[in-house]
Amino acid sequence: MRVHVDVEKCTGHARCWSVAPEVYELDDLGYNVTAVKDVPPGLEDLARKGALACPEQAITVEE
Amino acid sequence: MGESTRTPELDFDVYATQTMTANNAAWDEVRTTCPVAWTPHNGGHWVISGYEEVAEAFRDWEVFSSARTDPARSSITISGSRFPLLVPEELDPPAWHGYRRVLAAMLSPQAAERLRPRARYWARTCIDGMIEAGRGELVSELIFPVPAAVTLEWLGFPESDWTTFSHAFHDAAAFPHDTPEYHAAAAATVDVMRRVTEEVEARWSDDRGDGLSAIVHAEVEGERITQEMAERMTFMTIGGGVDTTSALTSAALLHLHQHPEDRARLLAEPDLWDPATEEFLRVYPPARTHARTIAHDTEFAGCPMKAGDRVLLSEISSGRDPDAFPDADRFVIDRFPNRHLAFGAGIHRCPGSHLARITFHEVMHEVLERIPDYRIVDAEVVEYPNWSMIGGWAKLPAEFTPGPRLGD
Ligand code: HEM
Ligand code: SF4
Repeated sequence: MRVHVDVEKCTGHARCWSVAPEVYELDDLGYNVTAVKDVPPGLEDLARKGALACPEQAITVEE
Repeated sequence: MGESTRTPELDFDVYATQTMTANNAAWDEVRTTCPVAWTPHNGGHWVISGYEEVAEAFRDWEVFSSARTDPARSSITISGSRFPLLVPEELDPPAWHGYRRVLAAMLSPQAAERLRPRARYWARTCIDGMIEAGRGELVSELIFPVPAAVTLEWLGFPESDWTTFSHAFHDAAAFPHDTPEYHAAAAATVDVMRRVTEEVEARWSDDRGDGLSAIVHAEVEGERITQEMAERMTFMTIGGGVDTTSALTSAALLHLHQHPEDRARLLAEPDLWDPATEEFLRVYPPARTHARTIAHDTEFAGCPMKAGDRVLLSEISSGRDPDAFPDADRFVIDRFPNRHLAFGAGIHRCPGSHLARITFHEVMHEVLERIPDYRIVDAEVVEYPNWSMIGGWAKLPAEFTPGPRLGD
């Protein structure tokens, strides 16, 4: 599984990181810097939850 | 350009209702009739009330501008409150960017986390003040002082300013513009600005390591911030910080009094705090509306909007839209996903959201740990007199089993 974060859409709500800190990483202003990431095995549910939590719908999950 | 070009037209006055229930019902009617419409009230403006439409307008800053058009009046309240320029909220890019960066760094999730112990300290101290008596007025003794103390201590204002500041912002937001309370608050705002100027000047060549110093010594696009912009940004940070978090806390404490089943679940399952906090924000958004000005002629959701038209975006209505939230009428403590717009969306999204959630959580946690059986005296509850912009409760007298002070 892979996650894609559209950094143009990200406005720093940090909800993805609150729900799934193991998957999503923030810069020091609180914006998502993950861009594209292979989700480590076992973290798929968290990755999906983090994407669903994003108010800007900036995260897409590639199953 | 006649009014008739602006359709559909509704008869909606956002100031007409005086209670939360009535204001929510008015929004439900507007949204079900038409999620985007024109109203002739309050100078004439568009009303955007559907979830998708509100989110889209918040994100499209090039059309839905936040910039001031009248130097004396705020562009982000529909009635044009007389505030100093709100920085960064009333700036559009590119000017917005540099100021936003300064505050985003100061209020990032990591920075906000460092203030958690102070939020806990002030929540504990305020509960100490009531707990032996077994009764207290929760708004003035706890809900209101804690966010004010956290924000103003962090910025570096002396304790002697805290009450004046928080009352000025509260009354300016809570009272309609034709009331004596609003006029008194507008006058008090002048005093707040004078104190802001004094404290900014005191730090101009003296970095004291506090929040004010971070603002005063900030660089914006490679240049040192000007004194005027430092003062405006300080004013905005106080305004954003003091009356919004308290409105949310008041709503949540009243809700848990009215819904014992939700109180019991939070006591038994602390993991519910994260989804519950988002649900409190959705159902009781402290900032209920924000205004914008159309930057250039456009068509939005089939409506012809003209440059200069005023627009009201409804956070409260967006959260009540059943197309976005199944069972929107119900408070669902573990609702997920919950992409409410209580902190806005797009570039101006609230940078204080991380600190707000932390302060809220520390106050709620302290209440449920130390006075878990608190009961609010229903007959003495007082709502904010107006729910057009900021909504919350002004008085929540409560009784509970007395307990010991914890001290420092
Ligand atoms: C529950 C508490 C809070 C709520 C519901 C809230 C809500 C909002 C909303 C909806 C916006 C967007 C306004 C717009 O688009 O015009 C906003 C912006 C802002 N808020 Fe908050 N806020 C809260 C707490 C705070 C706190 C604690 C601070 C600071 C310590 C703060 C500082 C700001 C600032 C500076 C902006 C302007 C950001 C920009 O223009 O880029 N807020 N807030
Ligand atoms: S929740 Fe969305 S907007 Fe917020 S930091 Fe994560 S990706 Fe960005």
